[in-house]
Amino acid sequence: MNAASALARSYRAERLLVTMVGLLALAGGAAVLVIGLGWLGTYRAARPLRDPIAVDWLTAHATPARIVALAAGLLLVVAGLWWLVRALRPEARPDLELDRTVGAELRVTAGALANAVGTAAASITGVTRARARVVGSAAAPALRLTLWLREGTSLQAVWAELDERVLAGARETLDLPELPAAVRLELDAGERRRVR
Amino acid sequence: MRLFVRLLSGLFGLALLGLGALTVGEVGWSWAWPQRAPLLVPWPSWLRYLDGRHWSDTETLVAAGVLAALGLVLLLASAAAKTRDIRLRDPGTAVSVSTSPRALARLVGRHVRAQDAVSGASVTASAKKVKVKARSRLESAGQLRPRLLDSVRELLAELPLARQPRVTVVVTAARERR
Repeated sequence: MNAASALARSYRAERLLVTMVGLLALAGGAAVLVIGLGWLGTYRAARPLRDPIAVDWLTAHATPARIVALAAGLLLVVAGLWWLVRALRPEARPDLELDRTVGAELRVTAGALANAVGTAAASITGVTRARARVVGSAAAPALRLTLWLREGTSLQAVWAELDERVLAGARETLDLPELPAAVRLELDAGERRRVR
Repeated sequence: MRLFVRLLSGLFGLALLGLGALTVGEVGWSWAWPQRAPLLVPWPSWLRYLDGRHWSDTETLVAAGVLAALGLVLLLASAAAKTRDIRLRDPGTAVSVSTSPRALARLVGRHVRAQDAVSGASVTASAKKVKVKARSRLESAGQLRPRLLDSVRELLAELPLARQPRVTVVVTAARERR
């Protein structure tokens, strides 16, 4: 997972599905409207919905039609089940497996790493609150950090400290050559003064 | 909108599952025992309802129109569900930085309210556009607007934004002196 895709959970597949269903509904509705309004010929518009030609063809080929219907139904069941499992699964918080040698396994849990990085990030000057979590997969983990910055904090200073101390520290401790990080800044979120 | 699209996509998954299961059940049942009543879905009565209908019937046209409108709503919803995060210039190759439109608007709003002669301001921000509405009791719109425009532009230029948003400033002066 690269740093940009760690910013937030991806919605691409969900949006694609909703877009496809929307396109299908729009195209289907428009096609029926075009036929019904007689733009493809008034004769066609006056034909019954259950067109005798189609019904005759289906009764003539009843067995293949049933097989096709059964196969399509099974396909729908599998696709629907797969999608449902995918949609209900929460975003992964992979543990880091530093050593897979049998007998000497070393694993850092996602919660522990997130805690350590979050605490370190919260101690940066100008940061009032910090939250961290591990995203991505065990093979390619990434960090997602949210920093709440006090009013008037210099972004450059925060960035320098974050990079040199927090992220470099995490990489060094875990001995990872690369640990992509997505940082979300909440600017000017410092203690709110209600009285002006 | 993102939650709505997420919810919808889950519901579509459920609908696909149900549709597939019912199709398999009904087709298999009627193939094995053609004389018996249908399993769950009263599809023979649906066919009887459809029998007398034509493509040009009002019912058909209304149903088609509703379907097309629903499709349009879905398209709009999925278009509105894109991320609104404001990307900042990435300080390193393995780091990406973003902020929320609300945070940027808060920052700009605080800056504008701290200017002389501004009695109140509201700001909306996106990655492409920052819109400032300021009120003033002391200065006329003609005097204040260019000054605010410059200072907001200056503020945004100091931030490492990935792209500089367009700034629009509208000033309403309580007492317009002429």
